[in-house]
Amino acid sequence: MTYVYLAICAAVLLLTVWNLWTEKDWRKQCAAAMVAIPLLLRVLLIK
Amino acid sequence: MIQRHHVSALVVSAVAVAMAAAASVSFLGHSAMETIVPGPGVKDVRMLSDWFPALAGGAGDTEVYVLSGDEPGGSMLVLGGTHPNEPASFLSALLLIENAKPDRGTLYVIPRTNASGFTHNDPQEGAPTSFSFTLADGSARSFRYGSRATNPIHQWPDPDVYIHASSGQALSGNETRNINRAYPGRTDGTLTERVAYGIAQLIRAESIDLTVDLHEASPEYPVVNAVVAHERAMPLASNAVLGLEMQDLSITLEPSPRNLRGLTHRELGDSTDTLAVLLETCNPSQGRLRGRTDEALVLSGKDASYMKAFELGRLYVPFDGDGISIETRVGRHLATIGELAFALGMEKPGRDVEIGGIPPYEDLIARGVGAFLSPVPAADRE
Repeated sequence: MTYVYLAICAAVLLLTVWNLWTEKDWRKQCAAAMVAIPLLLRVLLIK
Repeated sequence: MIQRHHVSALVVSAVAVAMAAAASVSFLGHSAMETIVPGPGVKDVRMLSDWFPALAGGAGDTEVYVLSGDEPGGSMLVLGGTHPNEPASFLSALLLIENAKPDRGTLYVIPRTNASGFTHNDPQEGAPTSFSFTLADGSARSFRYGSRATNPIHQWPDPDVYIHASSGQALSGNETRNINRAYPGRTDGTLTERVAYGIAQLIRAESIDLTVDLHEASPEYPVVNAVVAHERAMPLASNAVLGLEMQDLSITLEPSPRNLRGLTHRELGDSTDTLAVLLETCNPSQGRLRGRTDEALVLSGKDASYMKAFELGRLYVPFDGDGISIETRVGRHLATIGELAFALGMEKPGRDVEIGGIPPYEDLIARGVGAFLSPVPAADRE
């Protein structure tokens, strides 16, 4: 189950980063970056 | 073609990666365990995986210090760090390892019962990441303030409802990472359940006569400054409470509820032959009514909010401007362990455990915890 959740987490992270790079409003890019940080730390098994 | 929003995306991404890197350094630093200096009574340092090999090399494996005397006798297990956000629990176990010297019998001490819980702390609690003591030689030792539960990095996700395996009792989902709801554990369960199983295996394999689980609780919690005992341990715990009263240490004796499952005082008493007790001191840094939560609160136990709560009759213990210091809390645990060991000799003649070198309550209050900590050898310093 842990690996399934990690896969979901990685997928959401990829979508968030994709959104960050396609979004034209820099404020929404910042929001996407803030969402990506905890996702990244979880995928890397840091936090 | 590079567009303007790609430039801002690059800048934002770079800042995010830098912030993640800075956070990672802090979070990964939490995983480095502090050095424990074995004292004169330590004859062996083993791992919990010696009793349950499936734990070997994993986040749940933890050190078991074996302190034994020259004379044969009984055996006693002290569990510190069941909840790593209860510092007097870990520190009491640590002071036993670094100071105690059994004359008779064997004392097993696990300072980090839930080792995974020491590798992180609880978000949104505002707790300090560590606390420090100055030693007699002027050096300092710091210890991390952990979490009540297993690190979600090691066990994830939590279910909505946690079902205790052997009883079917339903609990809140986040209790699935609380080792004191996981006993007696199981071989194919979660990491937390497997660690609980390893401890039960140790108790069975070493014929542990008495198991003492160390805890702290908030001043507004009814079970505080208390011994909670399995029904088979009640006579022994009663004698220990009488001994503590003779030392002017007021403590209550609570029977282990039969319908509260997964806890040491219930499950280890039911599933093994050990006499199982759990000790609670009073720690304001854990309470819901506390004010600023920092290292000073953890160590001094002084809190104006709790003084007000006491005036309003909302607490189960006296609380004044002196607070409830870490010395008081560790001293109570160690004094109770000493009385329980003494009572074991009356309860099971020939299976007694005589422990010398335990820092006395009055000395701890007068000299502080740091006076009883050993300096870390230069080679082991970070």
